[in-house]
Amino acid sequence: MIAPLLRRLLLAGFCAGAVVLEARAQTAPIKFGKIDEADLTSQNFGADSAAAAVVLCDYGISRFDYAEKGFRVLFERTTRVKILKKSGYDYATVRVPLYHKEGREEKITSLKGFTYNLVNGQVVKEKLDSDAIFKEESTPNINVRKFTLPNVREGSVVEYTYTVASEFTFNFQDWTFQSDIPVRWSEYRAAIPEYFDYKMLMQGYEPLAVQERNDGLTQYTIRWSSSITPGGNGGREAGGVAVVTPTVTNYRWAMKDVPALREEPYMTTADDYVAKIDFELAGVKMPEQPYQMVAGSWTKIDMELLQDDNFGGQLNRGGFLKDQLAPLLAKTTDPTAQVAAIHELVRRSVKHNGNNGLMATSSVRRAYDQKAGSAADVNLLLIAALREAGFQANPVVLSTRAHGRLQTSVPLLSRFNYVLAHVQLPGGQQMLVDATEELAPCGMLPHRCLNGQGRLIMPKSQDSRWVELKTDDRLTSYRQVNLTLDETGSLKGKVHQEHAGYLGFNQREKLRKLGEKKYMEELATDHEGWSIAKYDFKERETLNKPLTLDYEFASSGGEAPVSIIYLNPLRDFGAGKNPFLHEDRRFPVDFGTRLDETVLVNLTLPAGYELEEMPKGMVLDLPDGGGRFTYGVQPGPAGLQIVSRLALSKPVYSAEEYAYLREFFGRLIAKQSERLVIKKKV
Amino acid sequence: MRLIPLTFSGLLLPLLLSPVATKAGGAAPKYAVADLPAALRENAHAVVRRQDELLTVKSVSRTVETVHRATTILDEAGSRWAAELVYYSQLNHINYFRGAVYDANGRQLRQLRGQDIRDISLSDGFSLATDARGRVADLSQPTYPYTVEFEYEVVSDNPLFYSTWQPQPVEQLSVEQATFRVMMPAGMALRYQESHLPAGTTPAALGAGAYAWEVHNLAAREEEPDGPSVAELTPAVFTAPAQFEVEGHAGQLNSWADLSRWTYELNAGRAELPPALVAGMQALVLGETDERARIRKVYKFLQANTRYISVQLGLGGWQTFPAASVATNGYGDCKALTNYCQALLGAAGIRSHAALVRAGSDEQDIRTDFPSSQFNHVVLCVPLTQAARADTVWLECTSQTNPFGYMGGFTGNRHALLLLPEGGRLIATPRYGAAENRRERQADVFLDAGGNATATLRTLRTGLEYDAVAGLPGLELSEQKKYISNRLALPNFTLTKVAFQPLPATAAVPGLRETLALTLPALAPPSGKRVFLTPNLLSRLPTPAATVGERQSEVWLDHAFTQLDTVRLHLPASLQPEQLPAPVRLSTPFGTYSSQLLALPDGTIRYVRRLEMPRTRFPRTDYPAYLEFRRKVATADKMQLVLLKTDA
Repeated sequence: MIAPLLRRLLLAGFCAGAVVLEARAQTAPIKFGKIDEADLTSQNFGADSAAAAVVLCDYGISRFDYAEKGFRVLFERTTRVKILKKSGYDYATVRVPLYHKEGREEKITSLKGFTYNLVNGQVVKEKLDSDAIFKEESTPNINVRKFTLPNVREGSVVEYTYTVASEFTFNFQDWTFQSDIPVRWSEYRAAIPEYFDYKMLMQGYEPLAVQERNDGLTQYTIRWSSSITPGGNGGREAGGVAVVTPTVTNYRWAMKDVPALREEPYMTTADDYVAKIDFELAGVKMPEQPYQMVAGSWTKIDMELLQDDNFGGQLNRGGFLKDQLAPLLAKTTDPTAQVAAIHELVRRSVKHNGNNGLMATSSVRRAYDQKAGSAADVNLLLIAALREAGFQANPVVLSTRAHGRLQTSVPLLSRFNYVLAHVQLPGGQQMLVDATEELAPCGMLPHRCLNGQGRLIMPKSQDSRWVELKTDDRLTSYRQVNLTLDETGSLKGKVHQEHAGYLGFNQREKLRKLGEKKYMEELATDHEGWSIAKYDFKERETLNKPLTLDYEFASSGGEAPVSIIYLNPLRDFGAGKNPFLHEDRRFPVDFGTRLDETVLVNLTLPAGYELEEMPKGMVLDLPDGGGRFTYGVQPGPAGLQIVSRLALSKPVYSAEEYAYLREFFGRLIAKQSERLVIKKKV
Repeated sequence: MRLIPLTFSGLLLPLLLSPVATKAGGAAPKYAVADLPAALRENAHAVVRRQDELLTVKSVSRTVETVHRATTILDEAGSRWAAELVYYSQLNHINYFRGAVYDANGRQLRQLRGQDIRDISLSDGFSLATDARGRVADLSQPTYPYTVEFEYEVVSDNPLFYSTWQPQPVEQLSVEQATFRVMMPAGMALRYQESHLPAGTTPAALGAGAYAWEVHNLAAREEEPDGPSVAELTPAVFTAPAQFEVEGHAGQLNSWADLSRWTYELNAGRAELPPALVAGMQALVLGETDERARIRKVYKFLQANTRYISVQLGLGGWQTFPAASVATNGYGDCKALTNYCQALLGAAGIRSHAALVRAGSDEQDIRTDFPSSQFNHVVLCVPLTQAARADTVWLECTSQTNPFGYMGGFTGNRHALLLLPEGGRLIATPRYGAAENRRERQADVFLDAGGNATATLRTLRTGLEYDAVAGLPGLELSEQKKYISNRLALPNFTLTKVAFQPLPATAAVPGLRETLALTLPALAPPSGKRVFLTPNLLSRLPTPAATVGERQSEVWLDHAFTQLDTVRLHLPASLQPEQLPAPVRLSTPFGTYSSQLLALPDGTIRYVRRLEMPRTRFPRTDYPAYLEFRRKVATADKMQLVLLKTDA
């Protein structure tokens, strides 16, 4: 039987008043409406003068109260920003996302704002007008409240404050300390009564200036009206009042002088690098009740997923594919080939609509009938099909690169946004399979999935485990170039190129988008002065083989024979431009995959010409076996042969390795741009 | 500067429909691919099998657009046609939106269901508020070919815009059959303009206010570089009302003057300013006798005290906020800021007029011979009264940084409609030619014996060349470096200095001086006894894409510019030029070019390059000659200097 007080707490009657006994409240770091006049001048901003704007103070506090329908989280925020440049005007426009579901919604109240300007030495303070507050339906569950402050100029200080009341205790406000502009002070406080258990996740590369917690008491007055419970055991119950005094834990975190965070190339998502703290509701413990897990353990998440009709419920629903599967399985007894055939069936039957997804939109059967679906629709169907064919196939759930890094220490369902298939083959071999990419062979993971670890969910909970989302596929290119030079400097080339792994995939995508003719036009445009006479693609459809292209090109030289020809044989086949233009970097360089690039040039000289000097070979290594560039030269029958090979053997390089990487590319590009001096024999 | 929709109407977007059956389930196959003529598959990613659009004008204040379109998707690149977006807003309501998809044999695979249609905000990302929304459906299939069919109907209470019928708006799309019908109520005439209709197409007035057009078998086209877009070459019918009424605001539209007058009246009486501000403006220009300087002072006040915030709700897409509201809040959209600036100038005793334009760097000019609402932005036109000859100052009021009087790639070189109570006319906005659009660069390159170099680059960009870099000085240093690094055509370098200096505000056209210092490791590594260097470090004109087959369309070179490069090479004593390449001089109707290397007495080598490209259009038969010119320029630009090591 449910304890009476708990019933009040959970069902509650009518109105409720909450009195919060703030235990040893710290003074707030900002007082709304009271600015430091010195902030209106420029003297305080020498160090940040390059920034568009500076957050002077961003202060938030979350606490609970007890309302009509139960506990609510009240989040109050006060923010003050100094606008330094016109390019910083956008920081005077604010978006507040509000969650809503099934008729219940988060509410924003007490929204106030001011702009401060110094006009003829006087502080002029202007109020945010309610006409400047707008609502936008952004996604099905989020409405955005937008407002903009008045009379913003270079040098203005703007500030705003608002409160968001939320009945969704699982949607506790996270806090981001860092921004794309500098932040002077960012502070977050949370007062959490013992009834609620949140996991707190801190991340980023910036230190905390304050980290405190202490316990106190708080008090909630619960009022309920009389009610009638229908049914045999029901009856009339009187209204009443109760007071509870739970322990409350007061947290306080702050960061000081946080530098701006900016996007760089080869990042997963900026969200992985920003300094922030996230909250996830792990459990609820109401008085006189046992602890009730909300999230909790990976095992529990595994079970929830398996029991969910849109996840586990789909895994064994491949029966409708029986007729399609039978002929595929009859063709071969090789399990790997069978898996590939099933992968192809799914890949060709359902078009990925570009959305990620953890749960089936409705059912795998419907996705199959619709011939389109999310990643979850496609890959859950793949698992169902594999199982129907007798394979031991199970889901691997993961977080994509754009969705952010997954921390295996924090069991949270919300951290997953994607699912693909794991297959245990009879010989003990294992495969990860994804069928969302029409042009990726069986066994290649989409680049978006190459993000740390994923969770393999097994039918028996104790068998579930973490698997590395890594790949043997690289960005691989092999080119064999036969160059024939004539005495005017004209070149004829025959090129055989093979693009494999992720490069093969990328190039197949490009080829599909452009068609062969435009693909070749683009290729010709990338090489100045080339005309391409003929070309031939092979293995366009055989996805597990390299995409092969043979073509012939010509580029014209001078009008008459010359006695000396200068030739850069790798001009059109080298790395081109250093991808690392910037001098330094704070974050790792995350390519996702390894890289392997080989160019083999056979150069035939015109009769009667010779090399003035043989170029030198070169070997260049990155520290710790991180990569190698080799450049080898050999005399050939009518000229010479050059082999240039670049291998990057790690998918991720740390920020410390950045300088080496940059230097490495600089030197290999210099080597590849060397010219040969070819002279007429005397 | 940001994009500023005057209207965000979506009415410049696609449009209409026609009523055709949809409930085809179980019926005879439709749109079988086998029925498709081979000529329509050639070069096409998708084929419009049938497109029927109907515009029903109910009254001066209401129109109904009905569209039925079936498109066969031949391959992945055509799959954008498998999705449809129908726009709606406070003034536009969707009556219905249906769809179905068919396999290659024309058998219906399924029909679109309510749950397949998503309702999205068409928030443009910069508006604070907009009522633009859309319903979107995607019927993509995993195997090709297949056919999608969409039908929808939109009722509009904004009949300022009628339909544009253009069944073949882009390349690699062919059309099997398309029709357009318009039904006018008694007493109302349709205004229309036809463009590129195939000979023999009879835009038959069917009598009693009914009009119809039809085209068949339009083969797919391909866009060519430096040519008109496909949309300018394919059949189209533009329509417009002669009378209309939006939310109680009635107007005529038989001339540009009509549209000018209506828009003027809609926005009239919203110019009142607080008395203190009027006095402030009077004081601001007090004692300043030069007319241009007076305007500049007011414009400077506007730029320092306002910012652009877009709010597009209902009629607010066409009607300005009162000037007093901008005075209070310090922000507004293009209409509000232009109206405010006009009021400020008025307070300072300067008369000015708002002018509608179709803004956008990729936009073609409006159809000047078809008066209709073709605009998305408004600027201010200030006629000078004291100038010796007629002169005008144009003001972009939404930008806090736009140089005074400058109409760049966003609003320049096109027609604008002056808004006047008596009805205004079209006038041309400023156009900048090769003399104004300049890039002048001076480089000093210091090469050492090991082939490493340092360099300083001083670049002045003016006119439209300036547009692309106008925002750079406002960025943070690290962002400036990122921007510059990504655009320097050098394989390997480090930027050691970045500085900017704008031209003074009194310059005839705006400009920005950029000073860069770089280190260039291994710029010219010795190969044996020699060192190779391309003196034209940065200004290589790319060779145009090789064309396959004969040129089909005219050649349009719309952007005139001049490039001037001077590079001084400072060599170590151990390097001597082997021989200096001969100068190159080219003079053609498509452009003029010269480049030359000179050994100076102080031991340095000077490279001078000049390229001037005029704004011009010429027939397709001249295209090979143009390519030859470009090829010669590209060759000369790559000219190599060979240096001999004297100590080797």
